[in-house]
Amino acid sequence: MLPLKIENLAVSFPGLATPVLSIDRLEIAAGSHVALTGGSGSGKSTLINIIAGLERIRAGRVFWGEQNLADLSEGRRDQWRAGNIGLVMQDFHLFPGLSALDNILLPARLSRVCNGELIKRAHTLFETVGLKRPEQHIETMSRGEMQRVAIARALLRKPGVIIADEPTASLDLESGEAVGDLLLAVAADAGSTLIVASHDQRLVERLDRRLSLKSGRIVVDTQAEEIAT
Amino acid sequence: MIRFIFADLRRLWLGGAVVILLVALATALGVAVTLQERSLRLGSARAADKFDLVVGAAGSETQLILSSIFLQAAPLPLVDGSVLTKLTADPRVSWAAPVGFGDSFAGYPIIGTTISLISGTTTGFSEGKMFALEGEAVLGAAVDLSIGAEIKPMHGTAETGGHTHAGPAYKVVGKLQPTGTPWDRAILVPIQAVWHVHNLGHEHGQEEEGAHHDEDGHDHAHEGEEGHEEGDAHAEGETARAEPAAQVGAQEGQKYAFALGAASSKHVEEEHHGSIDPDAPVVETFGAGTPGLPAILVKPKTIADAYRLRQEYRSGSTLGVFPGEVLTSLYATLGDAKMVLSAVAAGSQGLVAAALVLVTVIHVGQRRRQIGALRAFGAPRSSVFMIVWIELFMLVALGVGIGFLVGLSAAHVGAQMFTAKSGVILPVGFTREDLRLAVILLGFAGVLAAVPALLAYRQSPAQALRA
Repeated sequence: MLPLKIENLAVSFPGLATPVLSIDRLEIAAGSHVALTGGSGSGKSTLINIIAGLERIRAGRVFWGEQNLADLSEGRRDQWRAGNIGLVMQDFHLFPGLSALDNILLPARLSRVCNGELIKRAHTLFETVGLKRPEQHIETMSRGEMQRVAIARALLRKPGVIIADEPTASLDLESGEAVGDLLLAVAADAGSTLIVASHDQRLVERLDRRLSLKSGRIVVDTQAEEIAT
Repeated sequence: MIRFIFADLRRLWLGGAVVILLVALATALGVAVTLQERSLRLGSARAADKFDLVVGAAGSETQLILSSIFLQAAPLPLVDGSVLTKLTADPRVSWAAPVGFGDSFAGYPIIGTTISLISGTTTGFSEGKMFALEGEAVLGAAVDLSIGAEIKPMHGTAETGGHTHAGPAYKVVGKLQPTGTPWDRAILVPIQAVWHVHNLGHEHGQEEEGAHHDEDGHDHAHEGEEGHEEGDAHAEGETARAEPAAQVGAQEGQKYAFALGAASSKHVEEEHHGSIDPDAPVVETFGAGTPGLPAILVKPKTIADAYRLRQEYRSGSTLGVFPGEVLTSLYATLGDAKMVLSAVAAGSQGLVAAALVLVTVIHVGQRRRQIGALRAFGAPRSSVFMIVWIELFMLVALGVGIGFLVGLSAAHVGAQMFTAKSGVILPVGFTREDLRLAVILLGFAGVLAAVPALLAYRQSPAQALRA
């Protein structure tokens, strides 16, 4: 439910002459579903990291609503992300040794915001993503199931933004499709802004807006309606 | 969070176990050295506690104390019997008792002494009674014999090639309560019995004594020479300085004293073979015929008396010693040894500290991704810090704890082995000083454990996740 506004963003790495990402202006409306595409080295992952607050912003401004991420310190950015962004990643980043439910609740617990209501919500989410055994240890699950747990975790604190980085890339076709469905459904349900970086054409086609990056610049920006009409 | 930490530790249990082991071993080494040294100091001090003043012939103070209090038999120059007579009569002396040694039975030293010494240094009998006849013996608490047992003294010890006296045998009549001193391992018999076994100090027959002297006359020089050869330089000094009147007694005594050494024991055995009169009553008045003695234990009435007596008996042919002062100089040596050991222990601790730093660095490397992920999903800085810190600190603290226990039990085992051999009970225990060591170790661990936790925030989660 948060709108994104990027101004004069430039990300460069030491030793590289040209910035890996350079965006003068980009706006994403609240509640829209956006696909981010581009080959490797296109700056796609960097953009995801920047808008998720995972990377420090040295030049330019990135607003989520009224909050400029560039103004936040490392710790504050972590804190802001915890409350506002649901993150789903290619490698899940679930923690072995804990049950599925504990994994869903872990970030909330570590932030000391966990309460009975959140635990109830975790159970509900667990069913929403189509899983049955909340006590099952994460390392005994299939990859498709793991990504579902990761999605449930991302949704726990009702984030205004869901950012998914290649959510289906490490899954087989079938579970990839199911995960795609799930992401779209939960984002639509909650009215969250959804940003998905993916090469998965079938997933990309189902999103409203597509941004394509090349050499750190947005080269294509199309609305799905335009294509349809 | 705790659940997460435990899940994490379970996952990394092997590495964790190695860290614990490493820390535990290094800690144990340091702790064992410290405890052992301290218990040796305390234990020997307590063993000497009961003996206020020891008077012997001029010679090595250390040897005098080792022989009379720690019962480490060694050839000692003898002090003239008249010294005992004088001490017993001294009004400043509560009691003075001779100590005669050299014989053993089943590995236990047989000590000739008096009733007043036994009652003055022990808390009483656990069973049986005090010896009353010449042929009776009293056991220290740690002697594994029972009342009624028969004791055939062996000259010297089995290890030094001694052999059993043919005639005499003592009968055990009592067993003392433990004192925690080497005397717990001793078989105590009337001093007159020891003299009689070795054919010395016949109080009943002055004539016999005289004849004895003549008989031995030829031997005196020979014995003296043998003494020199045995390298007891003090004996030489003793002979040279001795009053003519004391000469006979001293020389005769020397024979007895050197009989303690294995080399001359046989020789003496051949010439003298006294026997005890098992039914003779114990006489504890030491008159003119008292033979030379290796050591006299003195209980002065007051501390001032103790100092005065020590001063008085420190001139000429006698040597008055407070066991404490000898122990103090021994501890100085012990302290040097401890310094070496401590240096070794400190070195090993340094190695372990280095190993811990290495483990920490590797640990950080391994955990970069995990820490990055924790942050990416919104764990606050304090939580990440606590997780990383608690995990490392728990491992090290556990290692330190186990190390202290292992060190303690190692010191206990060492102390028990020492007690079994010497009878000196070594009190092993922790003190405030050890608490300080533990706090320092844990403090170091605490700081070290914070390093990876702090390093975790030197990079963005995105960088950490790329690792």
